[in-house]
Amino acid sequence: MYRRLRLCSNHGAYEAIPEPANPLDLRKVRSVLEREGIAVVDARVMLLAAMETEVTLSRNGRLLFKTRDPDIAERTFERLRSLLGLPAAEEPPRATSGMRSR
Amino acid sequence: MARGVMLMSGGIDSPVAIHYLLRQGQEIVAVHMDNRPFTDDSPLSKVMDHLDLLRERHQQPIPLYLVPHGPTQITLMRNTDRHVGCVLCRRFMWRSAEKIAEREGATFLATGEALGQVASQTLSNMRSATVSVKLPIVRPLIGFDKQEIEAVAKEIGTYEISTRPGLCCQAVPDKPATRSNLVQILREEERIDVDQMIDDCVRKAVIL
Repeated sequence: MYRRLRLCSNHGAYEAIPEPANPLDLRKVRSVLEREGIAVVDARVMLLAAMETEVTLSRNGRLLFKTRDPDIAERTFERLRSLLGLPAAEEPPRATSGMRSR
Repeated sequence: MARGVMLMSGGIDSPVAIHYLLRQGQEIVAVHMDNRPFTDDSPLSKVMDHLDLLRERHQQPIPLYLVPHGPTQITLMRNTDRHVGCVLCRRFMWRSAEKIAEREGATFLATGEALGQVASQTLSNMRSATVSVKLPIVRPLIGFDKQEIEAVAKEIGTYEISTRPGLCCQAVPDKPATRSNLVQILREEERIDVDQMIDDCVRKAVIL
C-alpha cells in the first residue's frame, strides 16, 4: 500500500511512498509507459515520465509528482496505478477528510 | 578589484556570499547550473529574484549564466557509481564555472559553501571536487554556522526568497559518500567524456 500523497519536505512536490517497500522494475515500467505514448527519460536509477505533471519513479517505488496541486498529483498517481498495477494509497483519515496529510 | 564567478543554487548561502563579495567591491558573474528535470523551475526563479535584489542593493550589474546541467546528471547516473554522485556533480559545476570565468576574464571562483552543512560539504569531498579546477576558490562563508548565515540573509532580504517552496535535487543518492577518494573519482570519470560534456553544457549556456 502507498502512504497517502503528501507534500515533500521543501513543499515543492507531492510524493507517494510505498509501505512496505514495493521495488519497481524500471525496465518494465519504462516499456509500459512508452507503450502508452508517455515520454520517459531513463536515468538508470530512476525514470522521469512526462505525464499530466512530471513524475520521478525511483527503484524503491517512491513516486514524486512535480506539482503543488494535490488534485493533479492524485490524478497522475491513479493513472500510474492503473497502468502499472501499483498498490492503492491509504484512505485519508476521516478527521482530515478533504485535506492532505502532511 | 577582481572579477569572480559565483555558483548560485537558489539556496540561502550563495546570495549571502555574493553580498559580502559585492560589499568588498568585487565584480561578480553568477552561474546557475540548471538541474531540471531533477528539480523544478523554483531554483532558477529564486536565483533570478536573488540577483534582482542584490543588483538593486549594491547598484551593480550581475550577469547570470544559465548552464544546462540535467543532461550531465543523466549521463552520470547512467554511467557512474551513484555513491559518489554528489562529488562528480560538483566537479562538473566547478569546471563549467571555470570555463565561464575564462570567457569572462574572471580571476577567481566563489561559492556559498560552509563546512559540514550537507553531505557533499566535507573537507575530503571539497578537495575531490575542487582539484578539478585551477582558479582560486573564494568561500566567504566557510566558517559561518547556519544561524549566522540565516541572520544575514534575513537582513539583506534574500531569506524569504530562498525558503519559498521548491523541489530538492532528485539526483542526490540515498547514501552520498561523505569521504570521497580521489582515485575512485578519477576512475569513475574515465567512464565518460568529461571534456566533451563540459564543452557542450557551457556552449549551450544562456546569459540572462
